[in-house]
Amino acid sequence: MQNTTLEVSTHLAEVYSTVKGAVYQSDSEKCWYVDFAGKMAKFDYRNILKLKKAIYAIDIEEILLNSSKTADVEIVFICACEHCYVLTLLEIISFKELLEGTFVMLSLNQILHDRLYRIAA
Amino acid sequence: MKDIIRVKSLISADVETLLNQQIKKEAQSSSAYLSMASWCDRNGFDNSAEYFFKQAEEERQHQLKFYRYVLDMGGTALSPEVTNVKIEYNSFREIFEEALDQEISVTQSIKNIAARCHKEQDYVTVEFLNWFFKEQREEEYKARRALELFDLIGEEGTGRWEIDKHVGKIHYGNEAGE
Repeated sequence: MQNTTLEVSTHLAEVYSTVKGAVYQSDSEKCWYVDFAGKMAKFDYRNILKLKKAIYAIDIEEILLNSSKTADVEIVFICACEHCYVLTLLEIISFKELLEGTFVMLSLNQILHDRLYRIAA
Repeated sequence: MKDIIRVKSLISADVETLLNQQIKKEAQSSSAYLSMASWCDRNGFDNSAEYFFKQAEEERQHQLKFYRYVLDMGGTALSPEVTNVKIEYNSFREIFEEALDQEISVTQSIKNIAARCHKEQDYVTVEFLNWFFKEQREEEYKARRALELFDLIGEEGTGRWEIDKHVGKIHYGNEAGE
């Protein structure tokens, strides 16, 4: 297990992290590793967009105001993706924060690429 | 760190969302025209029914054009759900008033996408949208001319029959003033 972690850390670049989790990018595999809710899950381009959509679509305010006796647990299932998350309300808030930060960083990375390599000075 | 997102998709998430909204708008537009064709046919306005059948088909083509563009650019095109299609209209004139309103709304909506594209310097999509701007020129012209027939001919007597006869003849040339 330790070896895997070590191997993973050598080819992964951290995109964004919070105290609750982190997202890493693998350039060689063209994918992202999401470290959250006690597991490291791999997402390709299509799936990370689906994950973003699924998490952003959760109405946090509605869950907060909901006084029914149902459990405050949300099951996030992404079509054609092997991962599934069962998240509490607090986890949803942290996950959303993590993903928002991640996508801001990915946009920033795009701006940097444009400025440094794509647009002639 | 590689820029994977840009490699996979030419358009931004925001532009993709706007284009998907436009796909839905075109689909709604096509259904509305079909409904207008149905009303006209039921009430004996054969030429107008034919005119709206053609319009419905055109809107469908527009929808597919947007749909294929989103896919070509690496985005996810969403097949829209069309609900609340009107079945009954109060008058022959009301149909043409709604048709013009609909075209104006489509033009405004495409202008809104173009404004967003200019903001993020997405000139590729702007170039794609230019075809639609030219198309909207024709669509609005035709809808406006059809409505003007009501004022020119008048609805009294055989007026509506006369209007129906002229609707099919409305034509817009390729260039302004033709």
